[in-house]
Amino acid sequence: MLMPRKPPKGFRKPHHPDRHGASKGGTRVVFGEFGIQALEPAYVTNRQIESARIAMTRHIKRGGKVWISVFPDQALTKKPAETRMGSGKGSPEWWVANVKPGRILFEMSFPNEATAREAMRRAIHKLPMKCRIVTRGEGDN
Amino acid sequence: MSEVKISAEPRTEFGKGGARRTRRAGLVPAVLYGHGEKPVHIALPAREFAAAIRHGGLNQVFAIDVQGGASTLALPKAIQKDPIKDTYEHIDLIIVKRGEKVTVDVPVILTGDAAKNTLVVTESTTLSLTAEALHLPESVEVSIEGAEAGTQITAGDVTLPRGSELAVDPSTVIALVSAAQTVAEEPAEGEAAEGGESAAAEEAPAEA
Repeated sequence: MLMPRKPPKGFRKPHHPDRHGASKGGTRVVFGEFGIQALEPAYVTNRQIESARIAMTRHIKRGGKVWISVFPDQALTKKPAETRMGSGKGSPEWWVANVKPGRILFEMSFPNEATAREAMRRAIHKLPMKCRIVTRGEGDN
Repeated sequence: MSEVKISAEPRTEFGKGGARRTRRAGLVPAVLYGHGEKPVHIALPAREFAAAIRHGGLNQVFAIDVQGGASTLALPKAIQKDPIKDTYEHIDLIIVKRGEKVTVDVPVILTGDAAKNTLVVTESTTLSLTAEALHLPESVEVSIEGAEAGTQITAGDVTLPRGSELAVDPSTVIALVSAAQTVAEEPAEGEAAEGGESAAAEEAPAEA
């Protein structure tokens, strides 16, 4: 499961990161042949990333390569259930990647396009936002 | 590749608002410069420009007619696209002369299938070539038919079209053929997912 190796340098219990706007970079497929592109903003947890990766790699079985282009380096906190308000901020609960529209989440290289697309379709079902499959070269300059 | 004639109109309003109004009118803001000329701000018809790029590739040469003036030959230098809508946001066009040699990035197409149980990893999808502006190749092909694991396809292996020269080191790697990963080599999957609550407790950000 992806998570920072060391505790964060800044705040241990940060505010929720900004969810507005589009992705400033990481919007093109650069390593593999195909990619999964986010179409909506979302906080993607390390469990969702791992689940999507497993869905993809189990479908392609062998002969392909998968790259993960996002890292869950943002801690999100949660107050325990049935707790009254106040008494400070809740404890860190999840590690998330703050994904904005346009961001490439995964990239894949596989000889058979149909199999690669099916693997990515399965991975998209594990993610919390609308996504689409893009190929390398689309929108490139 | 022959040039595509496109008529442009001069742009009078600039900035975010002006550019958005231009785009709403079905035009793409662009700038034309090069050869010591003063930059000219123009607006190109979005549909015609997109069609030309779709058919001729990113190195399509345009003969730009700015409102009845003399036609100027130009090559797209930088194209900004919206990553979601796939629409063109802004184009930088560089003026070229007939017969002038220019350096452009040309797409590389890998043809054929590598040997069984191998994986082709593309290191670079484009190759820098120097060629005459009006005779730029749309793409270059290189065969990977039957390539065994460990094979490296370099820029020197590409058969170049007549009149084109490599603008990069011939040892630049374009693609690598490696042995396909077998199931045994794959990293252990779902360890944490199967670990239950104790694993979940470990995954939560540590309380310092």
